[in-house]
Amino acid sequence: MAEQKTITFTLNEHKLTVPAGTVVIEAARRVGIEVPSFCYYPGLSLQAACRMCLVEVEKAPKLQTACTLVATEGMVVRSDTPQVHKARKDMLEFLLTNHPLDCPVCDKGGECELQDMTFRYGLDKSRFVEEKLHSPEQEWSPVVYYDAPRCILCFRCVRVCDEGMGVKALGVGSRGVNSVIIPNREDHLECEECGMCIDICPVGALTSGTYRYKTRPWEMSYVPTVCAHCSNGCKTTLSVRNNDILRANNRDLSGINKEFLCIKGRYGFDFVHHKDRLKLPLVRRNGTLQPSSWEDALAEVAARLKAIRDAHGPEAIGFIGSNRTTNEENYLLGRLARATVGTNNVDHHRTADYSALVQSLGEKSSAAQPGMEQLGAAKAILLIGNDPTNQNPLVAWEIRSAVRLHGARLYIINTQEIKLRRQAEQFVRIAPGAEALMARWLATGEGDLELDTSLEMMKLRGALEKEQDVVIVFGAELRGAAIGHLVEFGASLPGQTRFMALGDYANSRGAADMGLLPDRLPGYAPLSNAAARDAFGKLWGTSLPEAPGIDARRMLSDAAEGTLQALYVVGANPFKTFGTGGRPAGLELLVVQEMFLTETAQQADIVLPAACAYEKNGTMTNTAGEVQLLRKAMETMGTRTDFEILRIVSHQLAKAGMGKAIPLRTPEAALDEIRSGVPGYGVSMPGLLAGGAERTAPVVPANGHKLSDVPAESIFSARDTLFTSGTLSRYCTMINSVPEAKSEA
Amino acid sequence: MTLSPQLENKFSELLKRYPVKRSALVPMLLYSQDEYGHISDEMIAEIARRLDLNTLQVTETLVYYSMLRRAPAGHCHVQVCTNISCKVRGGEKLWEHAQKRLGIGHKQTTSDGVFSLEEVECIGACTGAPAAQVNYDFYECLTPEKLDAILDQFQAGKKPAPVPHVSGSIHERHPAEVPVISRRFGIKNSRKIEVYRKHEGYQGLEKALKEMTPEGIIEEVKKSNLRGRGGAGFPAGVKWSFVPKDSPKPKYIIANADESEPGTCKDRPLLEFDPHQLIEGMIIAGRSVNSHQGYIYVRGEYRYVLDIVDGAIREAYEHGFLGKNILGSGFNFDLCTHTGAGAYECGEESALMESLEGKRGYPRIRPPFPAVVGLYGCPTIINNVETLSAVPSVILKGAEWYAGLGPARNGGTRLFCVSGHVERPGIYELPMGFNLLKMIEVAGGMRGGKKLKAVVPGGSSTPALKAEECDIAMDFDSLAKAGSMLGSGGVVVLDEDTCMVDFARRIMKFYAHESCGWCIPCREGTSWIKLILDRFHAGSGRAEDIPIIDEAAKNIFGRTFCPLGDAAAMPMMAIVKKWRHEFEEHLSGRCPFKAAEVAVEE
Repeated sequence: MAEQKTITFTLNEHKLTVPAGTVVIEAARRVGIEVPSFCYYPGLSLQAACRMCLVEVEKAPKLQTACTLVATEGMVVRSDTPQVHKARKDMLEFLLTNHPLDCPVCDKGGECELQDMTFRYGLDKSRFVEEKLHSPEQEWSPVVYYDAPRCILCFRCVRVCDEGMGVKALGVGSRGVNSVIIPNREDHLECEECGMCIDICPVGALTSGTYRYKTRPWEMSYVPTVCAHCSNGCKTTLSVRNNDILRANNRDLSGINKEFLCIKGRYGFDFVHHKDRLKLPLVRRNGTLQPSSWEDALAEVAARLKAIRDAHGPEAIGFIGSNRTTNEENYLLGRLARATVGTNNVDHHRTADYSALVQSLGEKSSAAQPGMEQLGAAKAILLIGNDPTNQNPLVAWEIRSAVRLHGARLYIINTQEIKLRRQAEQFVRIAPGAEALMARWLATGEGDLELDTSLEMMKLRGALEKEQDVVIVFGAELRGAAIGHLVEFGASLPGQTRFMALGDYANSRGAADMGLLPDRLPGYAPLSNAAARDAFGKLWGTSLPEAPGIDARRMLSDAAEGTLQALYVVGANPFKTFGTGGRPAGLELLVVQEMFLTETAQQADIVLPAACAYEKNGTMTNTAGEVQLLRKAMETMGTRTDFEILRIVSHQLAKAGMGKAIPLRTPEAALDEIRSGVPGYGVSMPGLLAGGAERTAPVVPANGHKLSDVPAESIFSARDTLFTSGTLSRYCTMINSVPEAKSEA
Repeated sequence: MTLSPQLENKFSELLKRYPVKRSALVPMLLYSQDEYGHISDEMIAEIARRLDLNTLQVTETLVYYSMLRRAPAGHCHVQVCTNISCKVRGGEKLWEHAQKRLGIGHKQTTSDGVFSLEEVECIGACTGAPAAQVNYDFYECLTPEKLDAILDQFQAGKKPAPVPHVSGSIHERHPAEVPVISRRFGIKNSRKIEVYRKHEGYQGLEKALKEMTPEGIIEEVKKSNLRGRGGAGFPAGVKWSFVPKDSPKPKYIIANADESEPGTCKDRPLLEFDPHQLIEGMIIAGRSVNSHQGYIYVRGEYRYVLDIVDGAIREAYEHGFLGKNILGSGFNFDLCTHTGAGAYECGEESALMESLEGKRGYPRIRPPFPAVVGLYGCPTIINNVETLSAVPSVILKGAEWYAGLGPARNGGTRLFCVSGHVERPGIYELPMGFNLLKMIEVAGGMRGGKKLKAVVPGGSSTPALKAEECDIAMDFDSLAKAGSMLGSGGVVVLDEDTCMVDFARRIMKFYAHESCGWCIPCREGTSWIKLILDRFHAGSGRAEDIPIIDEAAKNIFGRTFCPLGDAAAMPMMAIVKKWRHEFEEHLSGRCPFKAAEVAVEE
């Protein structure tokens, strides 16, 4: 890379050397000098509208706006002169003329940038005695409210909606002192309801339907954790008061998502309090589920599992794990199945073929999988399948950012006219189900393409062959051998090629990484790999069965035939997901750990009420393979974490004489074991504890392994939208209240 | 939505004018309003569809422009100007009368739907003050009685004849006048190409194309000392020389005909009497920087002027002065008009370009300047109508001759629109540097022999001069030295009976109304000062308000995004400084000039 040109200029007493093209306000921030501003916002277009950042520049007759002033060699800038201080005071005086000063009842009070600036730079008295402009507050959607008099017209909301989200649902109405922000449908919004406009608002002009008038910011504690919904792993900060989550946002801009959150991350937390939440174990007696004590329910689970194992062998028991439980919980479930019960019948609803990706990348695996932020800085992106705007909102945000801020070229192959096509250099519309064909064509040139498609694809391949650094992002449409083709194609490109598989849920990747697969151990080593098997056997104090187990779909069909007698489900709804219609006839025992009485739980013999992601500690791995820490924000009386339930079950089973109890007492202890035992998971603890997203790097030696075609029945996406999140979103009242969610239902 | 054939034609013709569809937005809105009386939701959706915009983009642009409306107005939309030139000749009295007569207020409609009423900002009829527009027609030199007669006719379903041209533009030449750009004013059919050609028309273009290099044209304009007539006085040739020669992008020439600085009505006669002069100037400018497309941005209120210019452009095409291979030179140049829809801010060059691109008229961050990054991100020359209208004479008669008409560094002549308390308000072409007191004499002297109190030398944004400061040469440098500006040529003369507090109030009302709202100091400051002045002049002034007005103006000055902030602040600072005693006199609770308030003219 060519060395970046730098320049040196003077700011107050500092000599600063910065990359050429840096604006003074940024240069100042880097050395900790605050140049106040409202309209300036990194990553959004420049406005120079608020005039708060005026600075003195030697030889310039007027004060200059530091947000547009590009530092040049030898420039002398002062941000600390009486003239500058007076300009800030004057500007705040102007701003406050029409601002209502209703701070005591304003949601933003205590975390308002206008308050802070007035405190730091403003006048101590008001000279404005005229009547202030007033207009009533407006409800633009159940989640977005606008209070025009408070608005200082910094246009951050307009820009983040247009430039950041690509939605453009907000504009400016009227003009002059009567200027206001207006929504796209006269008096209401029709948009993605992401709430970015609210978080980015420096004052209390835009407020949130979930939070408004509920509390003061200093009454709450703040718990940084990871969003419970999609697979992108956005950091979200839960604002908690009295064991109650009142708000979710990411105002400190930490985490891989910085300011970004979608509607699910921002408003999809109210399921924790949903009235249908399970708070007592349920045991089926005389055909109906009856409340039970934890002791009785757990004892029954152990006794009945043991009885089935003794009568039919471990292969009569199957485990279906979760896309939402933590890595530690998934790891524990795998260990319970393999080491305690002695079966490889363990699986989950697979929404992306991470296994095939890791396998086909072989030794290159770790370097060839970019994190989310790296996706946002990509030079070229090829997107095949999926609709990130709906299914993977942070991925969509990063792709838009790459295009907008780094001039990345986006190439799309899709069966639908997905929204991201607006950002695309080239959009190739293909026939339904043709994604794998395209991957094969790209890799080998084989396959019959329609003439139009073939011309488009040739153009696309030609363009990609000129790129030096490509990230290939793909959905569940590509599985097994098709992923192998993509990797093969990537290897044929002249520069660096990296890959990102898009799964559905918060820990879809972690479920696969932790080995909730019938044929792979944690870290993807195949069961046939004796060394890997022995390593885990040693760790778990037993020898592991070598023969691969059966997958989830097979478990259900075997249960129908009676060859599978017991099904143990953790945080999943397989009857719905796999469309079996009801409980398989031959099933003897169905145990479900769940938050709600799902279609599957309704049919269970024993239901164990589980804590949700916001109620526990642990880690999750996003679809890019980045591990982040989950922190407990609250608890719901009567529930237990899946970790605790599985641990007790293992103890109960051991007590009953079945296998060995799992000695790991806490998620932290489990994480220690994962870090040392699971290949690629030796992540840095300081990094994790500091809130970082730590890259994992599972590597499976290729060993001539040939990927086979994987049917869509085995790996498929639920194609959730911005307003759905599998079973969980049914219980998200706020999400379901927005009109866009209703129109999709 | 099905449109009438004429609107359908208009729309499709508009879409051909611009390389970017969205540019047609404001004209489409205005033309559809002309036909339907207002812009319906259905129309917004239809226009959005045609321009590949979302309805929000259409709406936010629409609501920016004061002429565009979402609800129907009366059949006869009566717009009474009360801005400074009209005000000092009874405009506010006229406005009150109109309200009383029609029984409705600002932006209201009579129950029979015949009339609606609006108090408007300067409509460019300053030398015909007080003036009003009914729909697009101008009625000037009004009195309540004359207005009544006009309204009576409208009420009876008839249309009274509007003024044929801006009052005060045709008059007996004063010996001091040096007619250059106005030399064809008053010649019968001067706007027709045959007449124009008979009077030296298109000879400058011929010379430029056949005898001069593009660099030579720029050199000639530089040497002529022709400075921007829009107000800032930047040397035109220098501006042109900033256009990068090697840019592969298209280049544009824009004539700024968004004349709206209160007190100014000089572009209006230039467009209505001599549109070909402007067209010729633009073609020459185009040649100098190898541009092949020009736009004339005409303020929306000047609809009949727009039609005249459109007609002239058609003639120019027919005669081979526009289009391909002009006069066999191989040079191509296309030109069309573009209508605004009511926004003073769009007179600011970068806001004008935003507006021309179909957006809200917000100014742009500079640098880069338009010469490098202008319309559609391409190099652009944007000049005032008067500036471009001088170009044919500069080329034809030579830079030396033109420069010699005025003092050093202030080449040529300019049109001064002398309005206010003079006997013969009018548009006079005088050499740059002409003495202001003599100029008042050219305009017939002080009306009714009253004493001179003050002169606003170049539109409402220029600091007023006290009577004793008026013995001054009217050129850019002399006025700058006196702490004011030559501005746009709108000379508003005020006599001893003028209340300067009230005058300041009306100025600030205008700037508050026209602030685009982009930056804080202008948006909040103008409105705040206006509120104080309203209260102050109404009798509730406090001593501490006087320094607040002054300081608020000073706090706007030099800190806004665009020059409009300074335009609002400068006149305030000057009035408070020079007539502070008048503010103090108001502290008694009444305006000392109330009794002597100007009677409406006969």
